[in-house]
Amino acid sequence: MFGIPDPSIWLAYLFIIGGAILCVVYGIANWNKDDKSDIGGEEK
Amino acid sequence: MTYVIVSLSLYVLFMALFAYLGYKKTKNSNDYLLAGKDINPIVMALSYGATFISTSAIVGFGGAAGQYGMGLLWLTVLNLIVGVFIAFVVFGKRTRELGHRLGTATMPELFARRFDCKFMQGYAGLLIFIFMPIYNAAVLKGIVDYISKFLSVDFNTTLIVISILAALFVVTGGLKGVMYADAFQGTVMFVGMAFLIFYTYSMLGGIVNANTALTRLTGMPGVAEQTAALTKIGFSGWTSMPKAGSPLWFNIVTTLVAGVGIGALAQPQLSVKFMTVKSGRELNRAMLSGGIFILFMTGVAFTVGALANVAFYNATGQIALKAAGSNDGIIPVFIKTFLPQWFGGFFLILLMAAAISTANGLLHTMGTALGRDFLKQSLNLKTRTVTLTRISMVIGLVISVALAYFSNKLDVSMAIIAIGTSMFYGLCAAAFLPTYIAALYFKTFPRRAALTSMVTGSAISLFWMFFVQEKTAGSLQVCRLLFNTTSIVKNTFLQTLSMVDALVVALPLSMIAAIIAWAVFGNERITEIPVAPSLAD
Repeated sequence: MFGIPDPSIWLAYLFIIGGAILCVVYGIANWNKDDKSDIGGEEK
Repeated sequence: MTYVIVSLSLYVLFMALFAYLGYKKTKNSNDYLLAGKDINPIVMALSYGATFISTSAIVGFGGAAGQYGMGLLWLTVLNLIVGVFIAFVVFGKRTRELGHRLGTATMPELFARRFDCKFMQGYAGLLIFIFMPIYNAAVLKGIVDYISKFLSVDFNTTLIVISILAALFVVTGGLKGVMYADAFQGTVMFVGMAFLIFYTYSMLGGIVNANTALTRLTGMPGVAEQTAALTKIGFSGWTSMPKAGSPLWFNIVTTLVAGVGIGALAQPQLSVKFMTVKSGRELNRAMLSGGIFILFMTGVAFTVGALANVAFYNATGQIALKAAGSNDGIIPVFIKTFLPQWFGGFFLILLMAAAISTANGLLHTMGTALGRDFLKQSLNLKTRTVTLTRISMVIGLVISVALAYFSNKLDVSMAIIAIGTSMFYGLCAAAFLPTYIAALYFKTFPRRAALTSMVTGSAISLFWMFFVQEKTAGSLQVCRLLFNTTSIVKNTFLQTLSMVDALVVALPLSMIAAIIAWAVFGNERITEIPVAPSLAD
C-alpha cells in the first residue's frame, strides 16, 4: 500500500491520516458540545 | 540573502507586535498566567501545537527518519492519538474544569490544591525548574546551530541574540503575548511544512512512485556499503521496521516513539494551555486544527527525512546521511539542495518560529514553576506572582543559555537535542502522569499515594538516565566520573537494559508504586484547597 510493502510501516502511514481525520471528525461532531465531567463543583 | 533578511525582519516585527499586544492586554496575574482564560480555540490549538513541536521534532527527529527510515512515523501516530486526541479528550477537558474550579495556574498547583499538599507543589515546581533548562537548552541549541551555520555567524553571538528575543517576547507579554505569537508562528510552520511535503512528493513523481523508489533503494548499487554500519544494529530499509529486539529497534520504539509519544501527556508547558480556554467546547473545536497541525509537522518531517534518501541518491549516488554529513544536516541540506532558493529563507523563519514558540512556552513554565509554585506558594514569599515569575524566567533563561553554551563545547550536536527532549518528556511522564490521572479521575485517591508515585517516578527516572541508559548516561558524564563507564549494566548480563529508555521502566514502576500506596493507605476523601485569591494579586 502507498508503495510500501512492509505492513508495519504502511499501517503507520494509514494511522497518521486516520488519526488526523479522527481529530477533525471529533472536532466537528462536538463543535457546540460542552460536556461537563463528574468532578463537580462550581467553576470560578 | 535578501530573502533571509526580509523574512527575518518581518518575523521580528510581527513578534514584537504580538508581545506589545500581550503586554497591553495584561491587567493582572490571571491574564499573565492564563491569558485571561478566554483564548480562541484556533489560537489555543496552534499555541499547543507550536509549543509541542520544536526544532528538535523537525530537524532532529526528521534527520533520524532520514537515517533510520519511516518507522519514525509511529511517533506521529502517537503524537496524534496520544498527544492530541487523548490529551484533549481524556486530560484536557478535566484539566480545564478542575483548574478553573480550583483557581490553579500551573500543573504543580493543580496537584497541590487537588490533594491539599503544598509540598507537592514545591517538589513538582523545583523538579520542573531544575530539569526543564536541559530541554530548553536543546531547543535553543538547535536553532542557534542552524542560524549560525546558515548565515555564517558566531554561535555565541547568535545564542545571545536569540535568547534576548525569546526573553523579551515572553517576559513582557505573559501567556497572552505568548499565545498570540504562537498562533502566528504556528501558521508560518503549517504553511512551510505543507509546501515541503507537496513539493517533495511532486519532485519524486507522486506518493506511490516516491515510496516505491525508497523501498527499492536498499537494493541499488553502492547502497549496501553505505548502510553497512546501520545494518549491523538492525536496519532493514527505509520503508521497513528495524529487526525486532535489535539496538536500533530499541532506540526507535522505546526512546523516540514511546518516550516522546507518551511523555507528551504530562508536559506542564502543554497542560497549562488547557486552562486558557473558557469551556470544553473550545477544546473540541481546537482538536480539529490541532490534529491537522501535528500531521503536517512530524508527519511531514519524518516522511521528507526518509524520502531525502531518494533525492540524494538520484543526484549524487549517496544516501542522505552520507550526502548531508550528519543526521542533523539531512533536512537543512535537503532543503538547500533541492528546494527553491526562496524557501531556504522561509524555512529559516519556520525553524525560528518552531524554536521560539517552544522556548517561550518553556520559559513561561520555568518562571511559574520557580516563581509561583516554589517561591510564592511553597515558601510563602509576599512578592507579587508576576514579579516572581518574571525574575524566575530570567534565571531559567540564563541557566538554559549557559547549558546551550556548554553543550556546544561538547561537540555532540543534535544528539544533545534529541537526548534533552526525550529526557525531559520521560521524566515528566514518570513523575507526574499517575498523579495527574488520579487528580482528574479518582476522587478518593490518597495524598500519600500521589506523593509516593511522584517521588518514585522521578527518582527511578533520574537514576536510569544518569546511570543505566547508555545514551543519556554517556552524555551526562556523571556515570563516567563515578564508575568510569557509560552505563553501570554495560558488559553484564543486564546489558540489554542499557538500550531501554527510562520511561519504559520508570512509568510502570511509578504506577505500581501509586497502586500499592493506595492499597496501603486506603481511600481518602480530601478537602480540596478552595480557590485562592492569590491568582489575582
